[in-house]
Amino acid sequence: MEELFGVPTQQLMWVLLAVFGAAALILGLSALRNRVSFRMAARNLPRRRAQTILVVLGLMLATMLFSASFTTGDTLTNSLRVQALENLGQVDIQVQAEGSGASGQQQFGPTSSERASYFDAEVAGEVRDRLSDESRVAGVAPAAIETVPVTAKGSDLSEPSTDVLGVSESSMEGFDSLTAASGKTLEPSDLGKDEIYLSADAAKGLDVGKGDEIQATFAQKVNTAAAPNAPPDAAAVPGAGPVSLPSELRVAGLYESGANPASSTSMVMPLQRLQERVGEDRINTVLVTHKGPAVEGAAGTDTTIDKLEPLLQENDLKAEPVKRDAIDQADEGGETFTSIFLLFGQFSVASGVLLIFLIFVMLAAERKHELGIARAVGMRRGHLMRMFAFEGALYALLASALGSVAGVGVGWLMVRVIGKAFAGSGFEISFATSPENIVIAFCLGMVLTFAVVLISSWRVSRLNVVRAIRDIPEPDNKGRSVKGVLLALATPLAGAGLVWQGLQAEQTGLYMLGLSLLIVGAALVARVLRVPERISFTVAGMLLLGLWLLPYSFGPSGMTEGIDLFFISGVMIVLAGVWVIIYNSDLLLGTVVALFGWLRGMPPVLRAAVSYPLQNRFRTGMTLAMFSLVVFTIVTMSFINAAFSSIFDDTDRLSGGFDVRADAGYAAPIPDMNEALKDTKGIDENDYTAVGTLTGLSVDAKQKGTDSKPETLFLQGVDGGYTKNVGYGFKSTVPEYDTANEVWTALRTEENTAVISSDLAPSRSDFEVGDGAPTIKLSGFYGDDPTLPDDIYIQVEDPQSGQTRNLRVIGVLEDTAFFAPGVTTSRATVDGIAGSPVPAQSYEFRLRDGVDSGEAAKDLEKAFAKNGLQAVAIEQEIEDGSASQGLFNNLLMGFMGLGLLVGIAALGVIAARSVVERRQQIGMLRALGFQRGQVRLAFLIESSFVALLGIGLGVALGAALSVGIVDSFAEQISGIRYTVPWGTLGVIVGLSYVAALLTTFLPASQASKVYPAEALRYE
Amino acid sequence: MEETAKEFMIEATGVQKVYAAGGLRVRALRGVDLGVRRGEMVAIMGPSGCGKTTLLNVLSGLDDLSDGEVYVDGESIKGMSDRRRTRFRAERMGFIFQSYNLIPVLSAIENIELPLLVAGKKPKKAREWAQDAIEMVGLADQARKRPSEMSGGQQQRITVARSLVNNPAIVWADEPTGALDSETSKGIMDLLVRMNETQQQTFVLVTHDPAVAARAHRTIRMRDGRITSDEANGKGE
Repeated sequence: MEELFGVPTQQLMWVLLAVFGAAALILGLSALRNRVSFRMAARNLPRRRAQTILVVLGLMLATMLFSASFTTGDTLTNSLRVQALENLGQVDIQVQAEGSGASGQQQFGPTSSERASYFDAEVAGEVRDRLSDESRVAGVAPAAIETVPVTAKGSDLSEPSTDVLGVSESSMEGFDSLTAASGKTLEPSDLGKDEIYLSADAAKGLDVGKGDEIQATFAQKVNTAAAPNAPPDAAAVPGAGPVSLPSELRVAGLYESGANPASSTSMVMPLQRLQERVGEDRINTVLVTHKGPAVEGAAGTDTTIDKLEPLLQENDLKAEPVKRDAIDQADEGGETFTSIFLLFGQFSVASGVLLIFLIFVMLAAERKHELGIARAVGMRRGHLMRMFAFEGALYALLASALGSVAGVGVGWLMVRVIGKAFAGSGFEISFATSPENIVIAFCLGMVLTFAVVLISSWRVSRLNVVRAIRDIPEPDNKGRSVKGVLLALATPLAGAGLVWQGLQAEQTGLYMLGLSLLIVGAALVARVLRVPERISFTVAGMLLLGLWLLPYSFGPSGMTEGIDLFFISGVMIVLAGVWVIIYNSDLLLGTVVALFGWLRGMPPVLRAAVSYPLQNRFRTGMTLAMFSLVVFTIVTMSFINAAFSSIFDDTDRLSGGFDVRADAGYAAPIPDMNEALKDTKGIDENDYTAVGTLTGLSVDAKQKGTDSKPETLFLQGVDGGYTKNVGYGFKSTVPEYDTANEVWTALRTEENTAVISSDLAPSRSDFEVGDGAPTIKLSGFYGDDPTLPDDIYIQVEDPQSGQTRNLRVIGVLEDTAFFAPGVTTSRATVDGIAGSPVPAQSYEFRLRDGVDSGEAAKDLEKAFAKNGLQAVAIEQEIEDGSASQGLFNNLLMGFMGLGLLVGIAALGVIAARSVVERRQQIGMLRALGFQRGQVRLAFLIESSFVALLGIGLGVALGAALSVGIVDSFAEQISGIRYTVPWGTLGVIVGLSYVAALLTTFLPASQASKVYPAEALRYE
Repeated sequence: MEETAKEFMIEATGVQKVYAAGGLRVRALRGVDLGVRRGEMVAIMGPSGCGKTTLLNVLSGLDDLSDGEVYVDGESIKGMSDRRRTRFRAERMGFIFQSYNLIPVLSAIENIELPLLVAGKKPKKAREWAQDAIEMVGLADQARKRPSEMSGGQQQRITVARSLVNNPAIVWADEPTGALDSETSKGIMDLLVRMNETQQQTFVLVTHDPAVAARAHRTIRMRDGRITSDEANGKGE
């Protein structure tokens, strides 16, 4: 990973190392000057081993979450890189004609359909000459790449989209060699006239082997004398030029790798043979390779391209830094994943911080007596603070080191799950982690933990010597200390400031945070003014819950909402819930006793079990908050996922009413699909009730009237068959059209009109999380508003024809229009921009009721195999997409669920500490007649009570907040429904509760073994 | 034996207790023979480390004995399982300790009713009995307070109420006035003596305070794990 939240990782690592180094230096110097304090602190670690292990385990969780996020990102970056480099091999730069896509073809659907333009073969020599004195350049090779449909002779098997790489044998020095599975190198110069080498993947798809025959259909330039065996029945393609040329070829060998930059479904033949078949004596790419290993070789790409610039301009060519682009894209993908995981892991990290604080508070409580004596015998506050800070720093050091390494393991597990999500797609996960990121995770954990340690140390140093020695609880001054009064005054002031700032910036997040702080501040002020805590905090809690959960907007309309709102709402709602519960605990106790008190032997057990957590508000509140925060997030996510999954129930809404999509190969286009369906064997035209034809053009586009830079955009053109039958609706339209049908009719009848997908339009709810931004983003309106201004134009220019048009945007498609991405206009408009008819690139079919779309897709592929038609059943495609998305969402929830470890660890820490603290009381209970089992049960019920309360609170708050969130999504995205994910909720509740019980079982058993006489002896 | 059981609430013979700590064996009790009659109040005195508390723990079944035999109300403590002994304590015994050992998270009334709930009384009935007990010790107005909100004397009164609430046959008190000033101590002892006289419960008190011991029927003195004297205080018998 190169960047994290936009900051280069190297830079981030050095900054964090500097902060860590500075802190370590200060601590080190301080330790040297206070050796006694340091020794006293350090000896606690080996002397209290069990406690050290517990503390370190608790502290390492936050670091582990960081490290796991980074490892996931690193692995995905690496996997994406490996895949990209597998196809590119040693190729660093591809020189191509202007207007060709990055890999020589325009991507359109699952196949590559646009042919790369040819240019003079002499250019390769000139490129070589220009780069001759560049030492990093290892080779320059002329080549041609075509994409053709291939069928195996004698079988029905076909590969509609197979890359053919034509290489010049004499120029391949510095590039990869074709390598067979046996490791043998295959030489193109050994190939006979009609022989090719075939990739292992293509051979597998076609079920052919060495010596078998295949048929490939090439698009041959017309009026070419050099073309051998031009078929008499080859259909002329209107305006496109080439004719289809089926060619019989023999497989001379199979290769595993080396045909770069062709895809894994490819074949290789000598350049001249490919040129003969396509009627060309020119080439369509020049490949440039640098010295050195794949990734390092990409360095210096800019210098090489700069050197070629004059030549490129002269010949209207461009040099694509394909390898560096692929690496950048891979890195961006990895960074996106890391950002998502870090973003959604925030609640877990917040819980982790609470746990760190809780651990140190409890550590301080345990040491209170010892520290009190230390003060009594002459230690100053500073000494105490240093001593505690030294000990904390040592724990933090151990925990951060272990956490950063453990996170790598967790990351490994997560990418295994991600690997399953991509299983079958050909994307293979290659595990990787980088030292930089482990160091960053370590430093982040260390800095975070140490900050909490310092605050805790300061708190510890303020202890009252007498109270500490006699173990008398600190008096509750009800917030009327100087610190308390200052906090009570500062909180509402900060709230008011944030409200003002939120209004100025029109940010709901800031505004709502401000309102929440006003409420929190009011409660603090009320406490200072001697209003009973129960009243002030219960009322504040209820107000906060109302503010966040009631379906009313408390802010002015027109404000924007970001992902930050989710986190602010989570923290505030959980705080409110915890307050309401903690300050009304007696009601809860009564309810629990009333519910279970009738069970034999339970009343005393219940009383002991529930009274402790309810009396110890700080600990219980913290643990409740930890559980609730994490459960709340997972529950909210699961509700949102369930709501979005409900979209997939209505495939018609997503598919626009079509059942099968098919992408055409350019080698043998089908001029009129409706006609072709009538005449083709194996197709019953009655099965097809509508056919839409789509075409497209790569254009430079920008919004008219803005000073944005034109970006390359794929402009989709649709015919009447599409516009008359498509069922996609619009979330926003210009005023003159009321219905979706009117918009589609206008698109068909009025040239230079366009509709856009919703991601191109600005939204009031900006919930995008790091995913790929659209090529162009329009401005001056909101896609959420039903009426679209009538003066939004997209200015497009075809770089080939030089034609420019202003397309008027007349509608913004619903978010569920999955298969109408980007900008869609009429086919006539596209032809007009291109200056000549553009061949069809894909088709959409609606089937008669009862016809199986999967079977229809197979029939279409089979019937039009020679045309390279690739068909898919849309319903299946949607289901596959839904399944992958579901798996990814579950993984994300699982990652967020790691935060539950924090709550569970907190319960374990508290239970272990309680056994020590209550040893004497346990002895007394045993003296009074508590059986061992009852003591154990009391501890287990105590933990269960806190865990279930936390889980229940999280589930209830998450479910309540989800109502509003799902409603607001449903307003924008039709098809979204509030659905209760019972299964997921069951798993969340069950797993977290069982884990919590298991953690407290050991301390509970220890408690039951406390011997009454021994416990009572040490008073 | 049957005759003895009727006469004696507690009968201990040849009681020994050996602690093993860090390879060191400490003989805390070295063959103690003792009998306590029903309704008797006995004080055990002696210097620190003489084995007073150990003897109380062993007699009450809070601790195992290494050798010898202890009968309480005619039943052998030695032969009882932990479960049976625990139930025996819940049904027949009450405890008072120097540091009160009230459960800090429970209110005064809840602390008092705890032994009743442990013994299986219905919560409603337990509350009624606890209410009577707290009135008996004169702290009905403090019923809802938590131990930390009460004075030492009040806490010890609550402990007394807790120890007597289930009408135990025998009450064990380990330094019941050890943490109290002399006036409060007197008040607590008045209370214990009154209970002993009115309820005819057997009391075994461990104390350093001669004034407390003087209120008992009998004072047993110990040294080095042995009983060195056993004298009547001139009251009761």
